[in-house]
Amino acid sequence: CDKDFLEVKPLDQYSDAAVWSDASLVNAFVNDIYLGQQYGFQLEMLASLSDISMTKRAEVNPILNSEINASYVSVLDPNHWLTSFRNITWNSLYLNIRSCNVFFERVEESGLQGEEIERLTGEVHYLRANFYYWLMSFYGGVPIVDQAYQIEDDFNIARSTFEETINFIVADLDAAAAALPLSGDKARATRGAALALKSRVLLYAASDLFNSNASWTDGYANPELVGYTGGSQTQRWQAAQDAAKAVIDLGIYNLYGGTSPASPQEARENYTNLFLNNGNEEDILISFYDDINDSDWQAPNPGRFYGPNGYHNWGNHTPTQQLVDSYEMIDGTEFSWSGPEAENPYENRDPRFYASILYDGANWRQRPDDVSAADPEGIVQTGFFENADGTFTPGLDTRQSSIEDWNGTYTGYYLRKFIDPSIDHQYETQRLPWRQIRYAEVILNYVEASLELGQEAEAKTYLNMIRNRAGMPDVPADESGEDLMDRYRNERKVELAYEQHRYFDIRRWMIAPQVIEDVEGIRIEHQFGSDDVEYQIMEVQNRNWQNKSYLLPILLDEMNRNDLLIQNPGY
Amino acid sequence: KNTYSQNKIDIEIYQGTLQQVFQKIEKNTEFIFFYKDGTLPENDKFTINKKGIELNLFLDDLLKDYSIGYKVDDRQVTVYKKPIENRVKKALQFTVTGTITDETGLPLSGATVVEKGTTNGTQADFDGNFSIDVAGEDATLVVSFVGYSTQEVLVGSQSEIDIVLNEDTAALDEVVIVGYGVQKKETLTGAVAGVGGEELAQAPVTNISQGVAGRIPGVVAISNGGEPGYDGATLRIRGLSTFGNAAPLVVVDGVPGRSLERIDPSTIKNVSVLKDASAAIYGAQAANGVILVTTKRGKVGAPNIKFSYNHGISRPTVIPEMANAAEYATLLNEVDGYNDAPLRFTEDDIQAYRDGSDPWRYPDTDWYEETLKPWSAQTYGNVSINGGTEKMNYFVSLSHRYQDGFYENSATNYNQYDLRTNLDFNINEYLDVYINTTGRFEDRNYPTRSAENIFRMLMRSRPNSHAYWPNGMPGPDIEYGDNPVVISTDATGYSRDKRYVFNSDFGVNLKIPGVEGLTFRGNASIDKNFRFDKDWVTPWYLYSWPEQRVDENGDPILVRGKKGYEDPRLTETMDDSQRILLRGIFDYTKTFGEDHDINLLAGVERITNKGDSFWAYRRYFLSDAVDQLFAGGSEDMNNSGSGFEEARLNYFGRVNYAFSEKYLAEFVWRYQGSYIFEESGRFGFFPGVSLGYVVSKEKFWENTVPFISFAKIRASWGQTGNDAIDPYQYLANYSVNNLSYISDNGNSRTQTLFEGVIPNSNVTWETATQKNIGLDLDFLRGDLSLTVDYFHYLREDILWPRNASVPNTAGLTLPAENIGRSKNQGFDFNLDYRTNISDLRINIGLNGVYTKNEILFWDEPQGRPEYQQSTGRPIGAGLYYNAIGIFQTQEEIDNYPSWQGARPGDIIFEDYNDDGVIDGNDRVRYDASRVPTFTGGLNISMNYKNFDLAVLLQGASGGYFYETTESGDFGNYLQSFYEDRWTAENPSTEDPRTYNRNGEYWVSEQNTYWLRKSDYVRLKNIELGYTLPESVTSSILVKNFRVYLSAFNLLTYSPHIDDYDPESTSGSGYNYPLNKVVNVGASINF
Repeated sequence: CDKDFLEVKPLDQYSDAAVWSDASLVNAFVNDIYLGQQYGFQLEMLASLSDISMTKRAEVNPILNSEINASYVSVLDPNHWLTSFRNITWNSLYLNIRSCNVFFERVEESGLQGEEIERLTGEVHYLRANFYYWLMSFYGGVPIVDQAYQIEDDFNIARSTFEETINFIVADLDAAAAALPLSGDKARATRGAALALKSRVLLYAASDLFNSNASWTDGYANPELVGYTGGSQTQRWQAAQDAAKAVIDLGIYNLYGGTSPASPQEARENYTNLFLNNGNEEDILISFYDDINDSDWQAPNPGRFYGPNGYHNWGNHTPTQQLVDSYEMIDGTEFSWSGPEAENPYENRDPRFYASILYDGANWRQRPDDVSAADPEGIVQTGFFENADGTFTPGLDTRQSSIEDWNGTYTGYYLRKFIDPSIDHQYETQRLPWRQIRYAEVILNYVEASLELGQEAEAKTYLNMIRNRAGMPDVPADESGEDLMDRYRNERKVELAYEQHRYFDIRRWMIAPQVIEDVEGIRIEHQFGSDDVEYQIMEVQNRNWQNKSYLLPILLDEMNRNDLLIQNPGY
Repeated sequence: KNTYSQNKIDIEIYQGTLQQVFQKIEKNTEFIFFYKDGTLPENDKFTINKKGIELNLFLDDLLKDYSIGYKVDDRQVTVYKKPIENRVKKALQFTVTGTITDETGLPLSGATVVEKGTTNGTQADFDGNFSIDVAGEDATLVVSFVGYSTQEVLVGSQSEIDIVLNEDTAALDEVVIVGYGVQKKETLTGAVAGVGGEELAQAPVTNISQGVAGRIPGVVAISNGGEPGYDGATLRIRGLSTFGNAAPLVVVDGVPGRSLERIDPSTIKNVSVLKDASAAIYGAQAANGVILVTTKRGKVGAPNIKFSYNHGISRPTVIPEMANAAEYATLLNEVDGYNDAPLRFTEDDIQAYRDGSDPWRYPDTDWYEETLKPWSAQTYGNVSINGGTEKMNYFVSLSHRYQDGFYENSATNYNQYDLRTNLDFNINEYLDVYINTTGRFEDRNYPTRSAENIFRMLMRSRPNSHAYWPNGMPGPDIEYGDNPVVISTDATGYSRDKRYVFNSDFGVNLKIPGVEGLTFRGNASIDKNFRFDKDWVTPWYLYSWPEQRVDENGDPILVRGKKGYEDPRLTETMDDSQRILLRGIFDYTKTFGEDHDINLLAGVERITNKGDSFWAYRRYFLSDAVDQLFAGGSEDMNNSGSGFEEARLNYFGRVNYAFSEKYLAEFVWRYQGSYIFEESGRFGFFPGVSLGYVVSKEKFWENTVPFISFAKIRASWGQTGNDAIDPYQYLANYSVNNLSYISDNGNSRTQTLFEGVIPNSNVTWETATQKNIGLDLDFLRGDLSLTVDYFHYLREDILWPRNASVPNTAGLTLPAENIGRSKNQGFDFNLDYRTNISDLRINIGLNGVYTKNEILFWDEPQGRPEYQQSTGRPIGAGLYYNAIGIFQTQEEIDNYPSWQGARPGDIIFEDYNDDGVIDGNDRVRYDASRVPTFTGGLNISMNYKNFDLAVLLQGASGGYFYETTESGDFGNYLQSFYEDRWTAENPSTEDPRTYNRNGEYWVSEQNTYWLRKSDYVRLKNIELGYTLPESVTSSILVKNFRVYLSAFNLLTYSPHIDDYDPESTSGSGYNYPLNKVVNVGASINF
């Protein structure tokens, strides 16, 4: 037999040598790192682990009740059968960080050069910073791995301090900003994206949670792992403000639809349509998902996952009454169940309410053919209709509906934000991108830093931009101090709802102990023979808070693998 | 005609008995000697040295001083005592004539007929005819033939007697198939077990792997499910020896890599299993044992045509008992109660479910009954022709089998068509040629939803929901349109999987002229596999009753809804591969001196396997009228493809040495190169040594232990390898992610590359060191035989990634490294007993294997407490919380460490490490794995006159499975759960309260409450046959006509499991169940 006969090579792979000598293959390698970013339209959403939303999956209860421990973190476990959070688990993040490190090392060794390689290098700096951003947000200071380990290496590595972790992320983002073009394809990192993420990271770094000297712990021995232990918080707010301003000063992003809509109706459409396109002037970084090649039932499918059961959708991530009540009246006053507005709670509200939430009576889309006879107009029914005999017929989108009742909402609401009404989601997957960063967030970051620095006038100017775009009036000129801060926090809650901010915001502001409370929903009864509607608030899910939940535990298995690791407080 | 008698023989012997002289001739030539015990003088010794003498002349000279005659017929030499000439003849002489045939009507040329109690005897001629003069009517004829059971016939008044001899199954084992050859069972030194094809064919199964359980000592078979086309059992030789890939190597007619499962059972001659070092001749693929399948070949004789037909009906062995509508509503109310939520059913609702008074609004659906039919058909038809002349033998078999799914209006069914042609040509005295070809068409048809999905939906479907509305329209789904009564039919389109298999072999056997005993065997085999898979997915329709609206007549208004997909979609997949094997073997057999028998074998073999695949997808079809790709739209169309190559180069050999057939030794080896590993470590050497001692051949034996007629002690040691890992782990490679990266406002889609495993250039085989000690004993002159083997397997260099100890911060996708070690030891045994009680013949076989494995080393997290380490525990032992009871009161919860949020009715987890909290450190390694530690079978076969009965009882113990159900608001509960559950009113101390899916910690966390022993004993197989008397069949020119009734998995006893089949691999009821088959069949020979 000839000697080369056994020298068979794989036909379905590229060799190491081929990849690192061909810029187009290197590009494909970097593209794969992009796929490691979190894509928010998942079966489970981070929003439902905060106060604004409720998932129906009882499995997440330990998280909502602060009952997780180092052995059990429910859906946040890397090996959980629900894959929604897989990209932002410890394991995946470090896997992708390795890819970044491989890129840096191999590109350097290969001697590959040129404009494309330089751009890719900037992008990979951005991506690595993004992965560490998630680690920092969930865990505080983490092991900083900046090399591509070989099999024979010693893998034990200690956690860096929180400060070192922030510095590392910021250094990566600075490197990215220096190497990247100002703008370009919105699915790729740009200088704008690097600066915007830097603004977010520095905002987190300046926040109370990480400047509390671990006051929330029970005398944790390693406070440097979970926050700053020295330096000035004010300087950190200044850095955060500067970072946000740097993005604003680029002058290349605008709030979608402008800040002077002609009517609340137009404002509502602007805010709706902001999410229903493949990229616009407000977007800084977006991600598309390849649903064509992912046939898994868990592949992102927001319309089916979140839509009402009366449309054969699964009704997950229903807004809580607490979120609904956060939408101001159109005149800028707070909504209150004890005010006259309680008679018609869904009238004259912030236009973003109508663009974000499906409520009883909301116009939605054409019902599926087997339901349209019961509701030809396509109006959401989360209420109950009284019959002549005093019994109630449950609405089509309730948990007592004749259509897939187990998918019905507990709270009386469904999510409308992001969802394209032109698609029948029971069959089709919408292909709209997930907004990783949009300009409104940067403005809000700037507002927050300005407020913390006491620059209230500056803060109001920018806060009003966000409000005006939404068709809401300016903040009252005389509002200041704590009221203004509350106004800002409410604005951020409403504007950025379901965009993966609230989970972290309530932690870094350390308001979680107050806002994590039992979820409220609504029972709506349409009286027989009249237009009267009765609204009754009820508790639909228990939640509890313990301070250990500010950060996640490092899983026991990982602790066991690496004896240099120190566990987070409370676990 | 006596071609062989022209042959000249060489013989050299010193002081040998006549028996030894004959044995020597047998060894060196093709001649076989037949004689009855006592024919040959035992004490006379001969010293002969003759070369090139003709057999006839030699025998004439040798026997001239004895009253011993001989007769040469082809290659058979029958030696008999000459009748004593001066005997006084009885006055009345009777001449009896007749023919002797086997069960299929084949004449048994050379069978001996002896008048009982005399030396008077004769032999059947080429056509099986005989003629004998006997003393009188009360004479009895004793008819015997090698390989067949001896029969006695009373002459009576008959002058013509036709005798049918039955094959003696014990005698069939006389020859055992081993790697690249055949060995006599008497002189075998390895642990090799076998089963005849006829026995395997008794089980009315469409997958031969299902029929193996309980039939071969040492083989553990775990049935996975009965889905037509996917009903293969997992076979493990002597249990699990590795935590790597544990699948044995399957070799069919000498070619590795062919399918065992789909072979037509009626074409199997026998199956042999190499369990110890004897497998070392298969080297790097043999560590998990080798299964050798040999198919039937033609026998010299007139064409024997056999038709057989089976018609079976099958149903699931076990269907879980689910809660009914009223029970389900009660349980959901309890869930609501535990959540302080308003109860969703009133007492009136529950009563309405219970009494069925309003079938429209309050249904009570038994989903299994609605979806599955009582019995499903399966059929098997076969015609074979077998026969030959001295120059050419042929075996041709054509068969078809059909298996329907369990569903009503089933879209699931399996068809298989087989054609096998095995031809042997005797070209001249030196050269034989054979040609084997097999063509097989496997036609699998399924609905577009998988069986797992359908059975999951059956478990989940709510009893208070309609399968069909009272007017016959299909009811609503759970989700995705998955109403099981619809998605199990072709209403959703179809999934067709067609596989074409072509196996071919061309071989030559060449006796090298001039070198006595040296043979060259060469063969070339080409196996081609082709697969075409087509999935045509169309929308389907279900009916819902929104708001329970009624028309003016008060009739419900149902609304039709489109389900699943907006428009049809088509995916077509093609796979295509070919394996080419080239092999040459030299085989040399010689006897030196008087007692030294040597057999040498050496060969080389190269195997290549290449394949390609591609698939294409389209949607937006203009209509569902044309289900072809061209008719689909171009938007979203998609396709892909790939390929692979494999190459192996093997050198192998065997040396056998026997001294007087008493002291036996064997050495086998293989030097194997595989494409899987890097060049420097590509080749490995695998030796195996075995020794045997036939102690019963010792002179002292016969006097000291006369009741043991045969005794052999065997011992073996060998090293084999296991290369069943992903190839190319030594290369740093990048793979294309199946997901594209999309950019440019959604307009650009590009491939992405990700880093494969970190290269491990040292990657090499997993090696097994296999030790075996065995004992073969025959009692009662072979009527009772016992084989017992003890084995000890040590696995080293098991390829295992260090995932458990390398922190995830490293971010490495780890390669498998040769780090694991495990051992497996145990024993297997086989006991055979046969006896005749007048006309009743009974064979009883009992076999079993007990194995216990243990992980000696693998990757463990550094900080893991000792009681959680898997090292030192059996493979597959999992981590579980110890469930030690049920919390009855809040006080109990307060007084014992508990999971946060625990409440009465919850399962108590043991605080194993006594640290006052329940966390992951309280999980304990539990010796529970799916693979049973003991499996065994009891075979009983009986013949009485024209009746035959075969029974196989099979059982296993020591296996476990983990039960899970998706019960709650979108999935039903087991009725046993309803009955046993904890409630405040009926507090159970064993079973927990009602739960909703995996919301409770004791559902989401693995714990011992859900662990069930899967011990069972079952009537695996029973067959009752009746052969029509020849007096009836001969009148219609039929040689043999037999009808039979058989059954598979008819009865099962499993004390710990009620709701699932104990052999099921899924503890959630989500796989297609195993089948119970009742079958009626007939076979007819012309």
